[in-house]
Parts: sequence; structure tokens; C-alpha cells
Amino acid sequence: MIDASTESRLARASKFWRNYSRNRGALFSFFFLIALIAAALLANYLFPGDVEAPDITREMLPPSFSAILGTDHLGRDQLALIIFGARTSLIVAFAAGGLLAVVGTMAGLLAGYFGGKMDGLIMRIADGFLTIPVLPLILVIVSLSRPNLFNVMFAIGLTGWPVMARVVRSDSIALMKREFIEIERVMGASSKRILFMHLLPNQLNSILVYASLSIPAVILTEAALEFLGLTPLSVSWGFMLNVSMSYWLRGTWWMSFFPGFAIFITALAFYFVSEGLKEALNPKLKRRRESLAAQVAERKK
Amino acid sequence: MGLPTYIAKRALVAIALIIVVGSLNFAILHLAPGGPETVFLNPRITPAAKALILKQFGLDKPIQEQYFLYLEGMVTGKWGLSYFYSESAFTVIASRIPATLLLMVPSLILTVVIGIVMGILSVRRPYSLLDRFLSSFAFFFYSMPVFWLGFILLTVFAVFVHVLPAGGMTSITATGFGIIDYLWHLILPVTALTLINIANFSLLVRSSMIEVLDQNYIMTARGKGLSERLVFYRHALRNGLLPTVTMLGLFVGSLLTGAILTETVFSWPGLGSLTFDSISRRDYPVVLALFFIFSILTIFSNLLTDIVYGLLDPRITYD
Repeated sequence: MIDASTESRLARASKFWRNYSRNRGALFSFFFLIALIAAALLANYLFPGDVEAPDITREMLPPSFSAILGTDHLGRDQLALIIFGARTSLIVAFAAGGLLAVVGTMAGLLAGYFGGKMDGLIMRIADGFLTIPVLPLILVIVSLSRPNLFNVMFAIGLTGWPVMARVVRSDSIALMKREFIEIERVMGASSKRILFMHLLPNQLNSILVYASLSIPAVILTEAALEFLGLTPLSVSWGFMLNVSMSYWLRGTWWMSFFPGFAIFITALAFYFVSEGLKEALNPKLKRRRESLAAQVAERKK
Repeated sequence: MGLPTYIAKRALVAIALIIVVGSLNFAILHLAPGGPETVFLNPRITPAAKALILKQFGLDKPIQEQYFLYLEGMVTGKWGLSYFYSESAFTVIASRIPATLLLMVPSLILTVVIGIVMGILSVRRPYSLLDRFLSSFAFFFYSMPVFWLGFILLTVFAVFVHVLPAGGMTSITATGFGIIDYLWHLILPVTALTLINIANFSLLVRSSMIEVLDQNYIMTARGKGLSERLVFYRHALRNGLLPTVTMLGLFVGSLLTGAILTETVFSWPGLGSLTFDSISRRDYPVVLALFFIFSILTIFSNLLTDIVYGLLDPRITYD
């Protein structure tokens, strides 16, 4: 932190990038996600016309040159649908992931800073959320409210924060024992100042890493909700799988394989990016570089 | 504080949590657009039956009274009336529980056993080729949506090669209770549910063993000249496996979630496909009751885990 401030911003960025790109998987995943985001943004130009319009002459065609990923039960091009579907997944991933990070960070900061009763209350609520099965809870919330994208994001964000809160809380407690914060307190700094000028900035790195680590779970949960038919959007990866359930017995493997593969590969890419971030932001870790697998196991504990 | 007090305290927390879940259910009911009437009443109901249900659930009473009636109903099994089956939600759910257990229990056992064995194999030589293969294998399936894996298995083994049944729990042609037939139908769903969950245990055992093997008492044991085998299996493994007990409690929740999705893909007639069907039928009393039973299952498995952990690890102090 101290020596970093003497370097120029550019030098720091290039050092970060050097550390990050040392992890091949993370590098490749980063470019994959950039490409996916670009494709989702430019979907209207890549696939002009109404991609949702049915074409009864082309129903359930296997992959071929005219439709690389085949067509669905309404004769629509699956590649176009998957690219448009990426919008849903990415929006929910970032919005719900962001909400979860903000709520978790605030809860963790307050619990760690104030301690005592505040800590007890917040952490008991977090424990409660960890013992209630999350998917059924989200199912109940979403099915009883109007199933729209906003409710899905809200439900996922609202149920996903406890792990984040635990991480931020324990880091905050450790930071509170450090001298520079003690000095601030002796000098009479306000709670607000300590919370937002010291505790928060000093944890931004680990907050970023844990937020990116929670995104795959968000993507899988959202896909599960769509798969169970809980979003009104017809163009989403999970819903494509839901539809394919009625047809797979006829051997239309491409209708379920490609949307599911999109979910899988996107979730995996976010995992790799989060590993790369972790390594690049904590260069000390590199000496005993733990595998991605151990990282997940550690988070589960 | 002794163990009995500790257990009593944990049990109280569990009961408190169940009341919280019940209250949450109640709140969701009243916050839903249209309120509890739309949730509890079938639109095609006769006025007489409507009045009866409103009375049965105390919906004609003030809200605080409704709340206590609702909690009382949760405890006594009055979970509302299913629109679809015109039976009590409790009966509908109870009839589906055996099928879900038939799927979950074998998968739970397989996941834990395979996970622990894989974890031990990888940690025998950390960072070796075998370790890297096993860890990537576990991680690969861990990032997969279980319903997608289910589709792949079904397409390969039931559509392309006709070796395994395409879903369901029994064959239509089956007569009576054929255990072979059940097993036959169990293979694919159990495989899918197990594969995606192995990482929960294998990676945990791996990282916890790496930590334990680094500790001083292990060095002492080695220094005494004990064989590596003895150090590993007798000294390290006992402590290294402790976190898996905690994991087991947390795991029941994710196993349930996995079961909901797996049952849907494999048309397995348990709680999971009931969840899916009830949501698409807008059968709200059943959806709410399912959430309640899932919560109770998770809360109790957590309680059990806490108690077992306390019994296994003498270092735990009960405060």
C-alpha cells in the first residue's frame, strides 16, 4: 500500500496486468468475458431483424452451416438466442453480484467496527440466512411476487450476502487492532471517517475478489430459476433449457447442450478471473500458489 | 458449561429459527400481490368453501391473531389446501418424501465417500499430476448446472444408446415392488447429483489435510520415527476430517437444491418435481409448505452437525 502510492498509476496498472496475465486460465477467461460482453452489447447489429420471430420451415434443425448451433422448436437460430440470452445472464450477474457485495460489505463493516450487540445481531441474521435453503427461499419470493428480472436480482442479492459479511467482518476486526486506526481513534475521528476512510479502502481488494468469486454462483442460481420457469423472458439460457425438456426425447441434443454449455463456460470464466484477481492483488500469495480448487474449498469452510 | 446445556442451547436456536421461517412465510403471504386470499384461495372455489377456508386460516381475524394462528397451524400440520390436489398440502408433501429420500440418501453417501477418498488421494502427493487431475475433475463438475449434466447423461444413455431409462422412478411395465427396477432408474439421477457435489468434500478434505500436515504435532510424530503411513492415517486424518462434519450440515441444504433440479430433469416423483409442478401450477400453499419443510430439514441437519462436532472434537468449549 505505502510503496504503491509512490508509483505512478500507469506503472501500478501495468504491474497488476503483468501479475494477472501470468495465470493463463485467468487471461483467457478475461478475453472470453470481454468478447461475450461485446457480443451481448452488439447483439442487435450481429443479428439484425427479429431473432424471436418463429420460422415454421426451420423447426429443430441440427447444427449446420446455416445455423451453427441448430434451431429451436420454433425454428429460431440458437446462436442468436444464446447471444441475446447473454444479456440477461450478465445483467443479473453484475447487478445481483453488486447488490450482494454492497449489502455484505456494509453488514460486515458495521459488525466488525461496532462489535458487541450490533455484531451479535448482524451475524445471527447472517447465520440464519446460511441455514435456510436459499434456492427454495428465492423460489418463494419470486413466484409470489411478480416474476420479473428485478425481483430475481433482488432475491439473489438479498440471500447471497452472508458469506461476504463474514469475510469483511473478520478483516475489519483485524484492521481495528492496527496502530494507524488506534491513532485515528485517539485523535477523535468519527465512526464514519474510520469506516469509510480506513476500513473500507483497506479491504477493497479482498471485497473485489470475493464479489467476483460469488458471481458464478449467481449465474448458476439465476439459470436454475429460469430453468424452473420463473422468469418471463423467453430469451435466456436457463429458459432455453426449460423448453428443451419437452423435446429432448426426439434426440434434439443441441437444444439443451448449447444453452447449458453457455451457462457452464461463463460461470467457469468468472471463477478463473476471480483467481487471477486474487493472485494479482496479493502478490505475496504467489510463492505458495494454491490451486483454484483449494480457493473454493477455503471459501466453503 | 457441559455438553447437555450446549445441546439444549443449540436446540433452542433451531426452534427460534423455525419460528423465524414460519414468520417469513407469513410475511411473504401477506406481502404477495393480492395478499393471502389470492394465495390460499382457488379462483374457482364456491363461496361456501371460501368462507370455510377463510375461517379455517383465521383470515377474518385481526392480523396479530392471524399470525399466531398461522404459527400454530405450521406446528400442527395445517399447511393449507393444495389447489391442484384438493388435499391438504401436508398430505401431498408427505406422500412425496420417500422418493426424495431414495434419491438423496444414496447420493449423500456416495458424495461423502468418493469425496473423502479423492481428497485423501490428492493430498498424499500435493501438486502431483494425480492431485491436479482429481482437483480439476471435481471443480469441473462443481461449476456445472446440475440440470444440464442431467440432460447430457439422459441424451447419451437414454436417447443415443438405449441402456438406461429416460427418467421416472419405475418402469410402466413393472409389477409390484421391484428393487432392481428402482436401482435401474436411480443410476442416472444419482450420478448427476453426486458428480456436481463431490468437490464440496474432496477439495475441503484436501485443503484441511494440507493445513493439518503442516502442524507441529505431525512434525513431532514424524520425529519420533513413526512411519509416514501411521502419521498420515492415524494422526493427521482424524483432525483433517473434522471440517467435513461441518460441511455435512451445510451440505444438506445444497443437496436439497440439487435434488429439486435433478428431479425436474429426470421426472423423479419427489419433492423436487413437486416444487417445479406447484410453481408452474401456481399452487401457492404447496410452494410455501415446501419451503417450510426444506427449511426444517436444513435447520435440523445443522443442529445435528453442531452436536456431533461437539462430541467429536474435545477441544470445543461450549460457551
